[in-house]
Amino acid sequence: MALAMMRIGEERVIEEFHGREEMKRHLQDMGFIRGERIQVIGENPSGLILLVKGVRVALNRGLASQIMVA
Amino acid sequence: MSYRIALAGNPNCGKTTLFNELTGSKQHVGNWPGVTVDKKEGVYRKNREVSILDLPGTYSLSPYSAEEIIARDYIVKERPDVVIDIVDGTSMERNLYLTMQIVETGIPMVIAMNMMDEVEAKGDRIDCGKLGELLGVPVVPIVARSNKGTDALMEAVLQVAQSGQAPKVPDIYGAELLQAIQAGALTEEQEERAADLRYTYIAQLVKEAVQRKKSGHVETKSDKLDKILTNRILALPVFAVIMYVMFACTFSENFLFVPGLPSPGVWLAGIVETVWGALAEGLIGLVEGAGASGWIVGLVSSCLDGLGAVIGFLPLVLVLFLLLSFLEDSGYMARVAFVMDRIFRHFGLSGRSFIPMLMGFGCSVPALMASRTLESDKDRKITMMITPFMSCGAKLPIYAMFAATLFADSNQTLIVFSIYMLGIVVAVISALLLNKFAFKDGASNFIMELPQYRIPTLKSVLIHAWEKVRGFAIKAGTVIFASTLLIWFLSSFNFSGMCHMEDSFLAGIGNAIRWIFIPLGFGDWRASVGVVTGWIAKENIVTTFGQLFGGVSEEAIEAISAGEQALPAITEVFTKVSAWSYMAFNLLCMPCFAAVGAMKREMGSWKWTLRAVGFQMATAYVVALLINVVGNLIF
Repeated sequence: MALAMMRIGEERVIEEFHGREEMKRHLQDMGFIRGERIQVIGENPSGLILLVKGVRVALNRGLASQIMVA
Repeated sequence: MSYRIALAGNPNCGKTTLFNELTGSKQHVGNWPGVTVDKKEGVYRKNREVSILDLPGTYSLSPYSAEEIIARDYIVKERPDVVIDIVDGTSMERNLYLTMQIVETGIPMVIAMNMMDEVEAKGDRIDCGKLGELLGVPVVPIVARSNKGTDALMEAVLQVAQSGQAPKVPDIYGAELLQAIQAGALTEEQEERAADLRYTYIAQLVKEAVQRKKSGHVETKSDKLDKILTNRILALPVFAVIMYVMFACTFSENFLFVPGLPSPGVWLAGIVETVWGALAEGLIGLVEGAGASGWIVGLVSSCLDGLGAVIGFLPLVLVLFLLLSFLEDSGYMARVAFVMDRIFRHFGLSGRSFIPMLMGFGCSVPALMASRTLESDKDRKITMMITPFMSCGAKLPIYAMFAATLFADSNQTLIVFSIYMLGIVVAVISALLLNKFAFKDGASNFIMELPQYRIPTLKSVLIHAWEKVRGFAIKAGTVIFASTLLIWFLSSFNFSGMCHMEDSFLAGIGNAIRWIFIPLGFGDWRASVGVVTGWIAKENIVTTFGQLFGGVSEEAIEAISAGEQALPAITEVFTKVSAWSYMAFNLLCMPCFAAVGAMKREMGSWKWTLRAVGFQMATAYVVALLINVVGNLIF
């Protein structure tokens, strides 16, 4: 399923990224890699706040829907 | 021996704080990604032979945004003698990713393990010796905020600089991948594999060198604050309140709704005016006492007028900047960018555009430079075109003057606020139109780290605010001083020598262009001259009016700039409607030359700069025209 569907408090593992290569690389640089556990800790109309490698990262829903989690 | 040291690290890792401590430089420290918009160089204050360069914060050496390219190019191509890699000890797993990439370049390096106080407060322990052993790089624990461990850090740096010892690249990649990494030519697949290997290695490092009190995420104060400040319902109202409080602190005459209680900004402005008034009076007395001729006294007093106009509103700018700096340094701005993203998306921009636009309320020059943090070219261009619509500090005296003179019977804060709002609304409409007609790309994505909330140190807020205020002070001493002289000359002379202002060069210029402004409601030559002198510096308009509308004293100009006194003579020319139209025109038309220069630097082309200025001029004209026409229909 897409990361955008996750609810607050939910924790899942990143599977895949559907999007431009440039963005994929930037995501990797920020800790979003395959197999990484991420947790949703906040949510608002702009998008989601995630915990990735102990760091809070905010991203919009469009981007969150390109990241697949399991 | 002289050495070149570069500071590299993730955004928000405390890099700029460390730079300030090492160099003693008055360098702006922010708490949002990308506050270091350019390479900044300083000298180590304990050894003048060592130059230190502060690079923009970057997550990796693979370039993503324009500022990451600056950092990457410097490290890879210029090869400094030593790279100090600053690692935020509270989020090592992510920070060490950049470390791995710097290790791969083979450039001698030292790791500064920062925020050790916060690590200890969490009850965690980082074994820096162990980590250093594993990485083959000295690791020095520091707390940049309180300047702890920086001497030991620099000792290690100088040692590495002398020995020139390169870090040893861990044997995790395999020959083929390592070769591709060092050549900087990776395929998408290799890139992914390298990232995976790096993170796996980092996980192992952390496991061996770090003892965690609690595993997993513990809810922090930042998380609790975020529940309110990024809340789906509360976020925007809370932000609006914060903005209003900020404005009230700066220029409310009835602070906290107590009638007659001046806000800190207004109170300070009053003090400065009194002091400057006495000073200027004394100076003119001296000049007169020395038996100087009339025109010299005139020259001196008009120079003092010019300076006084700027000095009179410096306190307002200072208070506004102090508050803005506090918000920036606390980490709140990153949240605001995120919360605003949804709204900005409607105009085809990303929430990141919000940061430069907000800085635009201070000064357009740094704001335009901050647009470099935007990764999409389209977002960057549009943001630069509309950022000057955010009313900068220098435009405030213009509104103050009109508010005190023509709107004395209404709520003056509201008048000023309405102009600020107008700028925002016009910016929004412009972004929509530019997106629809000038650019065809879709909206770009938003991804941003939300740093921990920190109460900024007084020092960093002061440094930050001072940096900005200094810009104005310098402008006051140079550009405004020179242009005051020029205006004085143009308004006191014509081809046959000294003359009345009505016959001067300036009147000629004003008369030549005033017809352009007739449809906007202010087709007076003095108003036209104001527009022109405003391009040199917007606050010039008040000085110009002070001189052109009947030789007002320097104390009066200061008081007018701060909105405490009216300039009754302008009622001859302006009505409420045309005053509004005039304020709007000066808000929206071409910014000052310094800002145009910054725009040219950032856009990298005259063609785009001219397009932007043309767009701003056209917008200003149309909006002022609408105000004048519609306003006169209603009132």
